Amino acid sequence: MIESAAVKDQIREYVLEEFAKTKGINQITDQEVLTKNGIIDSMGIFRLVAFLEETFNVRIGDEEITHDNLESIDAIEKLVISKAKK
Amino acid sequence: MAYILQQLLQESAARYPEKLAVWARGRSLTYRELEGRSNQLAHLLQQRGVRKGDRVGLYFPKCVESVIVMLGIVKAGGVYVPLDPQAPAERIGYIIGNCGIHGLVTRADKRRGLEQAMLDSLEFTLLVGDDNGEAPQISNGSAVIPWTMLGEYPASSAPAVTLTETDLAYILYTSGSTGRPKGVMLTHQNALTFVEWCAEKFQITSDDHLSNHAPLHFDLSVFDVYNTLEAGASLYMVTEDLALFPSKLTAFMEAQEITVWYSVPSALTLLLLHADLNAEKLKRLRTILFAGEVFPMKYLRQLADRLPHADLYNLYGPTETNVCTYYRVERERLAGMDKLPIGIACENTEVFAVNDQDEIVTQPGGTGELYVRGPAVTCGYWADAEKTMKIVVPNRFQPNFEEKMYCTGDLVQLGEDGNYYFLGRRDSMVKSRGYRIELGEIESALLSHPSVKEAVAIAVPDDIVGSRIKAVVASHDGICLAPVELQRFCGTRIPKYMIPEVIELCVELPKTSTGKIDRVKLASAKEPVSVR
Repeated sequence: MIESAAVKDQIREYVLEEFAKTKGINQITDQEVLTKNGIIDSMGIFRLVAFLEETFNVRIGDEEITHDNLESIDAIEKLVISKAKK
Repeated sequence: MAYILQQLLQESAARYPEKLAVWARGRSLTYRELEGRSNQLAHLLQQRGVRKGDRVGLYFPKCVESVIVMLGIVKAGGVYVPLDPQAPAERIGYIIGNCGIHGLVTRADKRRGLEQAMLDSLEFTLLVGDDNGEAPQISNGSAVIPWTMLGEYPASSAPAVTLTETDLAYILYTSGSTGRPKGVMLTHQNALTFVEWCAEKFQITSDDHLSNHAPLHFDLSVFDVYNTLEAGASLYMVTEDLALFPSKLTAFMEAQEITVWYSVPSALTLLLLHADLNAEKLKRLRTILFAGEVFPMKYLRQLADRLPHADLYNLYGPTETNVCTYYRVERERLAGMDKLPIGIACENTEVFAVNDQDEIVTQPGGTGELYVRGPAVTCGYWADAEKTMKIVVPNRFQPNFEEKMYCTGDLVQLGEDGNYYFLGRRDSMVKSRGYRIELGEIESALLSHPSVKEAVAIAVPDDIVGSRIKAVVASHDGICLAPVELQRFCGTRIPKYMIPEVIELCVELPKTSTGKIDRVKLASAKEPVSVR
């Protein structure tokens, strides 16, 4: 069973280090829409998905790579938890 | 026959008043609405002091209003300047100052991100989508106008303005080598030369559904918007909630029955790799145009296989010419082709390569720098006569009368098949995801950091996006710098696509025997260079 809070922390840290900080953004909330302000671009989406698959040992299909599933840290956490349960 | 851009809309609005003109984020406008709203906006702008030739900025994420604003500005006689909604405030401020923007059309949240001094320099800001305000507010002498004010102006006709095809229509800012973006000035004639060529070449009709993938500050969008209006077709705008998600994007293409698609190759590559590009589902997709960067052959072959019914065209041209050459992909040649041609000149445009002996290349195999002449060529850069003189030069191959030609800085080879082939750049401009990036602009951003002594930006070739940017930086004695701090610093000065993905730090950059920074050594180094 994956611990929800721990998942969120790992996702937040990855997004901050990998995408936000390098673009001059130091803080993001769990609800902030990551794609809106260009924090994550079209190539970044696939780096993020690879990270999630590797870190949480889940498989995310191309059809699941959607705005609803990946729009914020909250949404990503939900996706990972739902995948891990299966 | 149209000689200014707004006539394209006027004619289609008369012919197809109830037809869908623009769709974005689930909202749409008919031709009647687009014509009426842009007329109202033109009156509002004139009342706010916009006169012929005045620059008005567009600074908000794509939506149906984007097209109203572009057309409203030209109808008022103004010149629109589309600004990257994701660019840092500092860069936006520079552009606003550089081309003396009279008024800005923006959104409340975008406006808040801009510096007060810069906002005060504007005559007005008009807030798109602001339905709350009832009356204009005055902030330090600059009016802030809610969008609802449009309703007070006549929709039936545009204000009378005297424009000719040689008047400016828009200015597109691209990366500049001296550290500041430069504004490419485009006239109505420049745009229409290209639009009319496309209309004929790709046979766009009122049944077509065009996509708009490129951002509006990117010249690819000129085709999407104006060829839609020219034909009385329908434009479907790709917004960031779609652009980033390949499976959503193909679902959009299917649902909106897109018939003509135009984007950078990397966008198509992502669709190939991460979405179901299915010929059965995309039955109506008949023409795919791509431009802005080199399409890797292996992905182009896959695209040709997946969508056997679509015509594929490689379009080539810097913003200064929009598109000047084209190549229609010959499927039967693809298997044996190792390099994709940029093709031959568009009609009403002449291109030629000039070799090191200053002669025009006429023999196959010959190489030289590509020159362009014709009505699509820019008259130069806004408020920069010096840079303009370097690239828009007298045509020395034609001594009879004064005429200009544009030197692209691109090296090309004339092929056996009569097509031109792109070889590389003469200077340090690179492309990533179709964006023009001057490495000098990145270096200048890094060097403006007080602790940075030396900085070099390097393009690392990449299969999908063209290039990735790496930087090598040396700091002043004893100062310890973190790469992430430098990236953050760059984030306040240059757009996100220019920020180096990797920054290596060293004590001193390697030098050539003449004391210059050794770029060749840095570019070829696999491991971080450490020089004592």
